[in-house]
Amino acid sequence: MSAAFARRLLAVAPILAFVSLLLFAALRLLPIDPAAMSMPPTATKVEIEAARHAMGLDQPVTTQYVIWLGQTLRGDFGNSIHMRRPVAGLLQETLPATIELSVMAMLIAGVIGLGGGLGLFALRDRRGEAVAETLTTLMMSLPEFLWALLLIFVFGVLLSALPFTGRLDPGMTRPVVTQFLLLDTLLVGRVDVFFSALRHMVLPAFALGVAFAPPIMRVLRASLIDAYQEDYIRQARLRGVGEARILLGHALQNAVLPTLTLMGVQFGFLFGGSLLVEVIYSYPGMGNLMVDAVRNADLPIIQAVGLTYCVVVLAITALVDGLVMLLNPRLRGA
Amino acid sequence: MVQLSRRVFSAGASLASILASLPAWAQAKDSVTIGWPSDVTGWDPNQRFTPDAQGIYKMVFDQPLDQSPDLKLIPNLIKSWQMAPDAMSLALEFRDDVRFHDGAKMTADDFKWTFFDRVKAGHKLDIGNSFRKLTGIEVVSPTKAVMQFNSPGPTTPVWLAFLGSFVVPKAYMEKVGVEGFVAKPIGTGPYKLVEYQMNGRIVLERNDDYWGPKPKLKRVVIEIIKDPSARVAAIQSGQVDITVGVPVREAERLGAIAGLKGELNPIQRVILLQVRNDQGFADQNIRLAAHHAIDKAALSRAFYGGAAVPLSLPATPGTPGDIADFKFAYDPALAVKLLAASGYSTQKPAKIGMATTNGQFPNDYDMARAIVAMWKKIGIDAELEVIEYAKYFELNRAGKLPESTLYSFDNATGDPEIYSGYLLNPKLPFSPWKDPVLGEKVIAQFNVADETKRIEGWREISKEAVTTGACMPLLQSVQTLVRKDGLGYTKYGNGWVMGQSMNWG
Repeated sequence: MSAAFARRLLAVAPILAFVSLLLFAALRLLPIDPAAMSMPPTATKVEIEAARHAMGLDQPVTTQYVIWLGQTLRGDFGNSIHMRRPVAGLLQETLPATIELSVMAMLIAGVIGLGGGLGLFALRDRRGEAVAETLTTLMMSLPEFLWALLLIFVFGVLLSALPFTGRLDPGMTRPVVTQFLLLDTLLVGRVDVFFSALRHMVLPAFALGVAFAPPIMRVLRASLIDAYQEDYIRQARLRGVGEARILLGHALQNAVLPTLTLMGVQFGFLFGGSLLVEVIYSYPGMGNLMVDAVRNADLPIIQAVGLTYCVVVLAITALVDGLVMLLNPRLRGA
Repeated sequence: MVQLSRRVFSAGASLASILASLPAWAQAKDSVTIGWPSDVTGWDPNQRFTPDAQGIYKMVFDQPLDQSPDLKLIPNLIKSWQMAPDAMSLALEFRDDVRFHDGAKMTADDFKWTFFDRVKAGHKLDIGNSFRKLTGIEVVSPTKAVMQFNSPGPTTPVWLAFLGSFVVPKAYMEKVGVEGFVAKPIGTGPYKLVEYQMNGRIVLERNDDYWGPKPKLKRVVIEIIKDPSARVAAIQSGQVDITVGVPVREAERLGAIAGLKGELNPIQRVILLQVRNDQGFADQNIRLAAHHAIDKAALSRAFYGGAAVPLSLPATPGTPGDIADFKFAYDPALAVKLLAASGYSTQKPAKIGMATTNGQFPNDYDMARAIVAMWKKIGIDAELEVIEYAKYFELNRAGKLPESTLYSFDNATGDPEIYSGYLLNPKLPFSPWKDPVLGEKVIAQFNVADETKRIEGWREISKEAVTTGACMPLLQSVQTLVRKDGLGYTKYGNGWVMGQSMNWG
């Protein structure tokens, strides 16, 4: 199994190299002059040319790529054109928040998806099945930004039940240890701040995660239906095993594997979908940073964030693959 | 991204219209939460020009000179100033009771460090461009200094109250470096920065040793809420106490709710069409026809509830560059006549391009579409394209802007040089108008030292630009603001919203 896992990890390197090349080439093709963007509007042509030289933009594109790649491998993503700060520091500030949000959103999607999948399976061939199918279609068809606005309306404005801006209540100060706020609040023993942060994350995480639940439900339902055709289910019934134990102890164990693989793929989409949700909820993550970078044509940030998305998605995929291998004995020898 | 943002905005606006009858909760307290649409670019206030962040910086840092709510230049860190008759030097006298947040005294050395030494030391600062004429600052004593220029600098006092001009502490910055300063900035302002999360929140605490009037509120929390629908929801749900930049209709709707007040405040930001002097606009008749065909009052009614003042010059009413009795008429019949004189009509329309931003300022894209429709009626077919605001300068430098571009220009000072001078100077990237005849007059006007002649000169240039179709001013922009009923604040003509001017009850 470890060899198979190592093979998968090795495949990551060329993918990353290809993505980096694609990112670099695509951004160089855009009609944007990073040197001009880095200067104030009152800058003269001479000053812009000097900036272009200082940024190495007067060198051949291949040289620029090699320099950029070399710096990136050393963890130097350059400076933001707009903010004139090291991009690495900006990522360090924002990436943990996006990871926290995405993980929480995935948890919500997973809980609703797995619970809903079991519910759908229980409703198969019954009158409620059509209603449940319609509901899941509705959940899926609303994009995350619309979920975000609806949730703000219902829980933020109408019921005033949950906050929908920022990460903490106004009177609270944010502890900084690891940059992961939920973890940091626990590390410094501030349970009140932890719950404040958690309350602030409920709506954005739900908005981001809810649309991902229906596919999980459907895949789990379909996998369970397949599993119930297998001999071991019939044999279990013959042995007198109860229906609940058959479902949870036998069928679910096998049916959950394709669901897990799907969740791994979904996490990548979910991570990328955080852009608009972060902006709407004033959530200080990497998506928010990216939206600003696009508006300001801040190429170093766009490149670094793009690459970070790629790394995170590949890492999650590798983790899920590993998990599936652990759970599936047939794959361990592969 | 722009299209998606527009979808978000539209969906939010529709949703928000359902909220009409919901209550808002006012509360008396010692702090205020402001919902602000954009973040600072960083905590080095000299580094980047960000008009929307000027009010935020002014809570933490002080400017050498200040502006009163009606935008008159007033003393601040500088007690008095004297421009030499030839405008080649400016003598300054500073207050001697100003301290930075770390307790260190602010002196003329800090001023020199901020405006001269930092630039010479190679710090990448936008203010280096504002004070390009500066050749040195002579520190006469801890409270006296003289700025020297290589050519007349009559607008230097104005610039000392404008973008990026905030005094920073020399000793502290030398000790911690620029990065250390940005991580933990200190100024001489009425508030100290106690917490900052990029794109999230800024928390300020009152500086109890402030040299000026003490702020009434102890704590100011600025929530960065970029989405206009979220700002609407935040003020209505009571999660913020005051916010700006909500859609005009929302400001009017929220203002009708008990406990909230909605305002449409004209500010020193002009909305205009920046035009080229060539291609489809080479013919003056077409340019003037295009200008005469725009019903500015209708645009104001449609997009700003009638609060945006129609402009005839690139200057807002009451500022030195305005000419009260000069009017450029809305006259579609004359527009048709001018086009006919050049051989164009609705049957044979003149063809031009038009660029606009989408979401850079309220209703920009819709306004551009309305102008295109007005032009179509008289015989001008304009092809509309959307550009990002950040790309305007680059496209202009490359000569790639179309014949007309809907543009918003911010000038918190109201000085005519910063309006007409910057908007029409062919050497600066603001102006797509590159004709040398007007251009040379504009460049020469920058060096006029006599104040009366300077103002008069800019007025003449503005008038000439409008009557020749080199510039098409449209409206004075409006800042929408919604606040809780019990929250008072000082209204500045340039839209600054600052914690030190706020109070409850």
